[in-house]
Amino acid sequence: MAILASLWQSRLYGLEILRSLSEKSQLDVAEGTLYPILSRLKAEGLLQSEWVEAEAGHPRKYYWLTAPGRHRAREMAESWHTFSASLADLVQPLLGGKHR
Amino acid sequence: MTSMASLADNRVASYLARLSTALSAVGPAERDEIVREIRAHILDSVSSGTDAAAPVDRVLRLLGGPEELADRYTTERLLTRAGRSFSPWLLLRTSWRWAKLGIAGTITFFVAFIGYAMALALTVAVFLKPFMPSRLGMWLGPKTLNVGVPDHPEAMRELLGHWFVPVIAVAAFAFAVGTTQALRWLISRRSSTPAYKAPAQDSVRAQI
Repeated sequence: MAILASLWQSRLYGLEILRSLSEKSQLDVAEGTLYPILSRLKAEGLLQSEWVEAEAGHPRKYYWLTAPGRHRAREMAESWHTFSASLADLVQPLLGGKHR
Repeated sequence: MTSMASLADNRVASYLARLSTALSAVGPAERDEIVREIRAHILDSVSSGTDAAAPVDRVLRLLGGPEELADRYTTERLLTRAGRSFSPWLLLRTSWRWAKLGIAGTITFFVAFIGYAMALALTVAVFLKPFMPSRLGMWLGPKTLNVGVPDHPEAMRELLGHWFVPVIAVAAFAFAVGTTQALRWLISRRSSTPAYKAPAQDSVRAQI
């Protein structure tokens, strides 16, 4: 879900996805885990990719969400939101008035 | 400096060569694509690395060994195929590989193993029935119910009689189909981000 969510607003290449996940959600995905997952998500039709020549002197492989990918990302986000809201209700008494 | 850069290039070239070799199960076009992407990742990471002493070593370490990385690609490809497949062999093989990656895969493998083992055992019982018509059956004892050949049939009662073959055949088929559908569901419901490194002290470590 996190990888799909990171691509919601723009096309990104692998290193940008890692940085986006780390900066926005504090999730550190292992490099050796990310690329095989990107490959699978593409094979499942949730992502599309394209090589783009970059200023760095070598091309980069950019990914973006397909229509089914956007649909799946939204479904997963809704499930996660429902789950996290339930959990927040559960722990609310532990936090007292601090996090209202 | 030049020699250090050359050494780093050699390490990268060696890593990519080993990765390419380890991806033998992948088609040539896809293999080249993977190697090209990992090469781009290394170049990008090295050029933006903050560890000036040995950025290449650090980047390669974070990627994991080339054989390990290739194994992950192979497993992900199998999971994609298995999620659409009805082949028990492919589903069993995929769940075994997935089991090496975490608890969800381990649970899936046990479902696969137990489900298909039951289906196989019941199928064998159906084919053996004509050879031991009076001994093989579904036996009910004082405390047990089993399908097979009991040690003390005099203390037990056979329940199915002539219905043994059709009932057990249907049960075997149901186990096989049920296990296959359960595995397809478990694999297709698989999380998109299965593993995380240990992050900062107060951040999240979870499968989301």
